[in-house]
Amino acid sequence: MITEQGRVLELLLSGQFVCQTLDEDAHRYLQSSANRAEVEQQLNILNRHLSSAAEGEVYFASYQVLGDNERKTLTSQFQEVSSHLMPMVEWLLMVQEAMATDMPLTQGTMIRLNELQTVVEDTPAYAEQLGKISRYALFGSKASELDAQLKLIFKRLVELGYLVRPNQDKQIYTATGKIDYLFDVLKFIDETENLSLAERAEDAISQSSLL
Amino acid sequence: MNINLNKSGISLLNALSTHSELIMQAYFSGSVNEAEHSPKVIQNLIDLKVLWRPESDVELRLRPALRTLLEESLQDENNRQIDANIGNLLATLTTQAQHYKESLAHQKYHESQAYLSDLTEHVYTLTETLATNVRLLWSRISNEFGYVSSVDAKIRENELAQQQVTNMLNQLAMFHFDQLSQLAGSHRELRHLLVVTLQSAFATSTQELSLVQSKLIELLGRFREFKGRTRLLKGFMLHMDQKPDFEPVNYVTLSNVPALFNRASGIIKPAAADVNNVEQEFELTSLVNNIRTVNRLWQSAINRPVANPLVVEQEQSVELDEDKLKQEVENYFCEVIDSGVNTSALNYYQHNQLEFDQEVWIYQVIGAFQGLPDSEREYFDIETHGTPHPVYDGNFIIQDIELGLR
Repeated sequence: MITEQGRVLELLLSGQFVCQTLDEDAHRYLQSSANRAEVEQQLNILNRHLSSAAEGEVYFASYQVLGDNERKTLTSQFQEVSSHLMPMVEWLLMVQEAMATDMPLTQGTMIRLNELQTVVEDTPAYAEQLGKISRYALFGSKASELDAQLKLIFKRLVELGYLVRPNQDKQIYTATGKIDYLFDVLKFIDETENLSLAERAEDAISQSSLL
Repeated sequence: MNINLNKSGISLLNALSTHSELIMQAYFSGSVNEAEHSPKVIQNLIDLKVLWRPESDVELRLRPALRTLLEESLQDENNRQIDANIGNLLATLTTQAQHYKESLAHQKYHESQAYLSDLTEHVYTLTETLATNVRLLWSRISNEFGYVSSVDAKIRENELAQQQVTNMLNQLAMFHFDQLSQLAGSHRELRHLLVVTLQSAFATSTQELSLVQSKLIELLGRFREFKGRTRLLKGFMLHMDQKPDFEPVNYVTLSNVPALFNRASGIIKPAAADVNNVEQEFELTSLVNNIRTVNRLWQSAINRPVANPLVVEQEQSVELDEDKLKQEVENYFCEVIDSGVNTSALNYYQHNQLEFDQEVWIYQVIGAFQGLPDSEREYFDIETHGTPHPVYDGNFIIQDIELGLR
């Protein structure tokens, strides 16, 4: 029998983002500082360190000391994440607008594929947007039917760990903490590069309302 | 009991039940379409003060009191009003307590009882109002202002709710228990109502309200966070539109890698099976068993040629058996030829004390006769003895055969 600590370690060492949606028990385990210290100790043996993002909603393992090999791994990871940014941002905006809740996706948000599909099918603008998103290298769809595009996008997102599908029989997906992590990345880029994205969006909204 | 009041109350309730559909329609749509109902019914409901016309040229609406009743009974989340006129109710309580004390002092017990029942009614109304208001606030929080869709509207609703909480807390500050307890004096009933009941209601609602307040602030923070996120997404899109070649600097090359991008790669791979571990023997064996079922199919396909000798052996024994039978049938035919006398197959069977099944024997005889070449068959004649089937006509059951020479 594996202990709870062992299970959590396994999750962390396999490179997962431990959040409430992915594994509620593991996440609860990591909420306690005593457990965190124990896990940290175990991770240190393997030159790893327990890190968290999105205000403690997401835990993941990071390197304790960065050597050349680690830097190489991180570089490729960074390139991967930054290549996800644009398609993910477009997809997030589309889902948010199509679901008409005006709420950005966050960990635990449920997406019913059928509902989304109905909305996208009925709105040509969304359908066009979806076609564009599905052709990004991240998803790499060559299909021309909307149904196939949407299914492929969701399948890829599950593979990449942005979504989980709690019940294999149902087309209901739940967003994981990795989406919150992505928002953190966006925020970080915004701050470091002085892009002032929020102000820009605000300006655009107020300008369009003036017109 | 006032007989007139009782009667008209009953007729009002009856009217409500008879016209329940009209009333519920008015509840949901907000107004009554007069063209759909007879003027008599409408007039009746207006007289009973169920419907009213706020201004001369607008449609009929439900009376607010009735609407409130429905909202509260149905726990409809559309109900967003909070009636927090506690000061007024408290003043009424004080007045009635004074009436009660005065009537007691003048020894008008009958009157005092009436005052006390009024007072009880009011105290319970007050506690009920407090509980309802708190419940209303919670119901709004629990579905996160689900009745409005945009985040901006949610933020406005949240601000309204916070204002209502502040109002309620201000109103609750009007409870002066020292004054109430002075007012109650040494009267047991009054003390129970004014001090004990009110105090417990007061304590629960203040406690709940402070919880509500903290929850509301937390929600507001979340809604603001949502707005921030949406702005971030939209801003990034705009930025990418303006500078399509934008790429963030590779932060990993910095001497101090930001914690966000320091993500260790997965290193855990599945463990291997340990065949020397006795504890796992059972699981491992069951796994191996599962593998073997697959292998068996594969083996049987390969080994089929090897299994053949067994089958051949069986066939030989069957042939031997058949050979005996054939031999005996041949003997029978020879007997007929030798003797030149018609012989029944069964007679021959009994005579030679054969060991086969009788039916098989007869069958074989017929088969042998049919199997003869035409030229040889001409020498023999065969006659079948038997009976037609008792039920199914056209079927003939052969019981014996007589074979002879032509």
